[in-house]
Amino acid sequence: MSLASSIRTIATWELNRSMTTMGRDILPLAVGLLILLVLVTVFTSSSGVHMQDGIYRIGIDDPDVARVVAPDTRFTADLADGPTLRENQFAYDILILNRVVYVADTEKGRAAAKTLERDYESYVARVAAGEPDLFAGYPLWIDLQYVRSEIDFLATQSGQQVGAPATTPVSSAPQDPVEAVTLPLAAAPLSEDDLRERVAEAGSDHPLARYTGILSTGGTGERFQTPAELSPPLPFDALVLVFVFIFPLYFTSQFFMMSVMNERVGRAGEPLLATPIRPLAIVIGKALPYFGIMLFVSAAITLFIGAPATVLLPLIPVVIFFLASALIIGMAARSFKELSFVSIFFSTLATAYLFFPTVFANTHVISIISPLTLVVLEIQGEGFTAMEYVYSTALFVTTSIILFYVGTVNFREERLFSEKSLTSRLADFISGGISRNHPHLSLFFIAAFTIPFVFMAQMMTLVLFFNFPMPLSLVLLTVSAAFIEEVAKSVGLYAVARERPGFLTVKNLLVGAVAIGSGFLVGEKLLLFATLAQITESIFGSILFSSLQVLWMPLLLHIAGVLITGTFLMVGGRRAYVPGLLVASIVHCLYNLYFLTGVLL
Amino acid sequence: MNARHIGLIAKKELFGLSSEKTIVFAILLQVFIAMFSSFLMVGLTTMYDPEAIEGYSTGTYGVGYVGADSPLIDEFEKHPDLVLHRMGLDAALAALRDRRVAAVVYVPDTLPDAEGPVTLTLYLIQNDLQSSVINVKLKGVLQGYEEELREVRADRRTSFPVDLKVPESSGGENFFEFVYGLLVPLLVLLPAVVSAALIIDLITEEYQRQTLETLMSTPVTFGEMVWGKVAACAVLVPVQAGAWLLLLRANGIAVDNAAAILLHASVGGLFLILLGVLVALHYRERTSAQFIFSTALVVVFLLVIAVPYNPFNLIVRLAVDTASPAHWLVLALVAAATVLLGWAATAYARRVGEAAPGAR
Repeated sequence: MSLASSIRTIATWELNRSMTTMGRDILPLAVGLLILLVLVTVFTSSSGVHMQDGIYRIGIDDPDVARVVAPDTRFTADLADGPTLRENQFAYDILILNRVVYVADTEKGRAAAKTLERDYESYVARVAAGEPDLFAGYPLWIDLQYVRSEIDFLATQSGQQVGAPATTPVSSAPQDPVEAVTLPLAAAPLSEDDLRERVAEAGSDHPLARYTGILSTGGTGERFQTPAELSPPLPFDALVLVFVFIFPLYFTSQFFMMSVMNERVGRAGEPLLATPIRPLAIVIGKALPYFGIMLFVSAAITLFIGAPATVLLPLIPVVIFFLASALIIGMAARSFKELSFVSIFFSTLATAYLFFPTVFANTHVISIISPLTLVVLEIQGEGFTAMEYVYSTALFVTTSIILFYVGTVNFREERLFSEKSLTSRLADFISGGISRNHPHLSLFFIAAFTIPFVFMAQMMTLVLFFNFPMPLSLVLLTVSAAFIEEVAKSVGLYAVARERPGFLTVKNLLVGAVAIGSGFLVGEKLLLFATLAQITESIFGSILFSSLQVLWMPLLLHIAGVLITGTFLMVGGRRAYVPGLLVASIVHCLYNLYFLTGVLL
Repeated sequence: MNARHIGLIAKKELFGLSSEKTIVFAILLQVFIAMFSSFLMVGLTTMYDPEAIEGYSTGTYGVGYVGADSPLIDEFEKHPDLVLHRMGLDAALAALRDRRVAAVVYVPDTLPDAEGPVTLTLYLIQNDLQSSVINVKLKGVLQGYEEELREVRADRRTSFPVDLKVPESSGGENFFEFVYGLLVPLLVLLPAVVSAALIIDLITEEYQRQTLETLMSTPVTFGEMVWGKVAACAVLVPVQAGAWLLLLRANGIAVDNAAAILLHASVGGLFLILLGVLVALHYRERTSAQFIFSTALVVVFLLVIAVPYNPFNLIVRLAVDTASPAHWLVLALVAAATVLLGWAATAYARRVGEAAPGAR
C-alpha cells in the first residue's frame, strides 16, 4: 500500500471508530445537556450572578440615601435611626449618618467605600437621565478617537517598563513632516433621541453588567461617551480570543490524546501494529480526522464572530502543535490520572505562551512570538506580513515536526506497551533516536533538534521577565537562559548514559561534547537567521543568543557545558546529573555576564 | 460494606497517586502559576477592575491641549500628574504618535451655558497599556468638568440627587473584591473539580485496563471498591483547599472562618465526586465520561451561581465574615443532596456489581 492510501485507511477507520463507540451513547445526553445549558444561561442572565452578594454591611439613617445602594447586591443595608447605628458602629463597614459617609479603617472598609463611590456615581447618572433637558443633565460628551503608534523593541532597553509615562518634554518640534489634520466639528452630529436612549440604558444597571463588563472591550463601543462611561480600553482583549479560539482546540486535542492512549490500554493497538502499515501512516492517519475537526471548529468560530478567513492561517500551526503534543502525552502517560494531570499542565503552559505575548499586541514586536497576536491584528483589520507569519509560527511548526518525528519513531510495541514512569519513558523516546552505529552523529542532530524547544522556553522566560525592572530582568533572564540551554544540551547525553552505561568513556565524552556543541550551534544559527533577527538585535537577544558574536567562543562554551555535565555523569553516575547541570549553568552564566558587561561598557 | 475494605482501596489509590508522581505535576503547576502571579495579579485585577491600573503609575503624563480656552484647564491644574501642553492639532497628534504626549484633547469653543452639549474630542493611543492608565486619570478630570457644567446649567434641571459627603478615597488598587469575591471561592472549589475528574479516571481505568476482574476476585465488593476510590478523592479536597488557604495567608490574605469554608468545600466536592462516579459507571470509558462530565459541570456551575445564597457566595461571605447562620442551612441542603446522590451511586454500583463477571 502506498503511504497516502494507508493514511486514508487509518483516518477513515479512526473516524468510524470514534464516531460509533462514542456517538451512540453520548449523543442523547449531550444534546440534553446542551439544551439545559441554553436554559441555564437564560436563567443566569435574568437572575444575575450572585457570587458577591452581601459582602459589605452598611448602616444608613435615611431612606433617600438607601436608594443609592439599593440596586447593588454587594451591600447588606440596615436602615435604622442614628443612635442605634452609632451603638453598633463596629458591625458596619460603612455608616452614612446625616448624609456624611464614615468608613471603617480596614481594607474591607476602604473597598466598600470604593464600591459606594461607584454606586453613587451611577445613582447620580440615573437621576440625570430623568431630566427633560438632556444636555442639562449630561452637558459634556466626549468623542473618543484612537491613534495607532508602535514602539520598537529596542525602546525598552533604556529600562522603561511597558507603558512608562512620557516624561520627555514636548517642546521639541516633531521630526517627521506633520500631516495636516482637519479640525473636528465643534457641533458634532449628536442626535438627542439616540443619546437619551443610551443614557437611560446606562442608568438601569443590569445584574450581569458587573461581570460581563470584564469581557466587553473598551466601554460601550459607542463613539460619543459621557465622562462616566469613559472606561479604559482593555489591553487584554486577547484573553477573550484565547478562550474563544484556543479552548475548543485544546478540547478537541484531548480526544486525540485519548485515542492514542486507548491504543496502549490493554495492548489494544497490537493488531494495528501488526499490519504492514508504517507507523508514520498510522500516526498521521489517526491525527488527520482531529486536524479536520479542529480546522472546522476554528472556521465555524471565525465565521460566527465575523472575522476574516485569514485568521485561520496563524491558527493552523497552533493546531498542529496541539496535536503533536497530544501524541507525545498520549504515548508517555502511564495511567489516566497521569494523562489528566500532564495535559492540564501542558495546557496551562501552552495557554500562557500563547496568551501573555498577545497582551502587548500593537505595542511590542515581542508580541509576535505568539500566533494569536496575528489573529488579534487580523481581527483589528491591520493584517500581517508574510515575514511576521514565518516569525511567529516557525517555532510552532519546527517543534511540531520534531514531536511528530519522535512520536513516529517510537510508535513501536516495546515503547508503547511498556510500563515505565513518565521521565524514563521520555528518555526512552529520545534514545529511540540514537543510532547504535553512529551515536555521535545522532547526538549532533538531537542537539540541533532541541533548539526550537530551547527557544520556546526562552521566549517564555523573556515574556515572563520582560515586565520586571531592568537589572533584575537581565539577571533572571541570564540565569534561566543558561539553565535551559544546559538542560537541552545534556538531554542526549543523559539518554545515552541511561541506555548504555558503558558508553561514557573519556574519548566518547570528548567526541560527544564536540558533536553536541556544534549541533547546538548549527541549529541555533539556522533558526536565528531565519526568524528572530529583531530580538537578537536587542540586549535581551545578546543574552539569549550569545553565540552571535564570534563563532569559536560560543562553540567552546557549549562544548565546555556538555563536558562539565558529562564528567559529572561519568564520575558520579545519574545521581550526579543535577549537580552537574547546576555547575554547567553557573559557568554558562559567568560567560554570559562577562560578555554582557563587555557589551554594556 | 466493610469500612476496612474501603480504607484499603482508598490507601491503594492514594499510594498510586504519590508513586506515579502525578502530584509533582500538580505542584509544578502551582509553582508555575505562582511565578506568573505578579503578572496575573496585575492583569486579572485590571480586567476585573480597570481603574485599578491607576495605582501602578507614578510618573507624570503630558497631555496635548488643542482649541479654545475653557474651565477644563483649571480642572487639569488640580491634577499635578497631568501636564498640559498647548499646541496645534497637527503637532499634537504627531507628538502622540511619537509618544511624547500620552493623550490629546480638543476643546471646541462652545459656551458652558449653551443650549447643546459641549463635545470634546479625546485622542488616545490604540490598545495600549498606557492609554488605559491615562484614560482613568482623564476620566477624573472630565468628571470634574462635567460637574461644573451641570452646576452652570442647574437652573434647567428638575430634580437633584441626594448630596453625599464621600471621603476622599485613598486611591490605589482595590484587590479586595477580586481576591475575596473571585479568587478565594475559585481556589477553594478548584480541588473539588480536580477530584471529580480524578474519580472518573480511576473508575474508567479499571474497566479499560480490565483490572476489575482481579480486583473482584478479592473479598472486596464492587460497592466497596467504588467507595474506596471516592474516599481517596474526597480526602484530597480539604487537603488541597486547605493548602491554598495557607498559601493565601502566607501572601498576607487572611481568610476568616477557614474551618467552615473547608466544610463547604468538602461537601461540595463530595457532591461533584459522586456525580463523577455516576457518569463513570454509566460510560465505563474515559473519553465519553469526561466529555459528559465536563459539560454537566458547566451547567451545574452556571445554575449554582445564579441562585442567591449559593455555596460560592457563602464561601465569599464566610471569608469576609459577613455570613449569617443561614449558611448552615444551605450546607445541610447540599449535604442532603449529596446523601441522595451517594445513595444513588451505591445502588447503581450494586447493580453494576451484580452484573459484572466474578463480582459478588
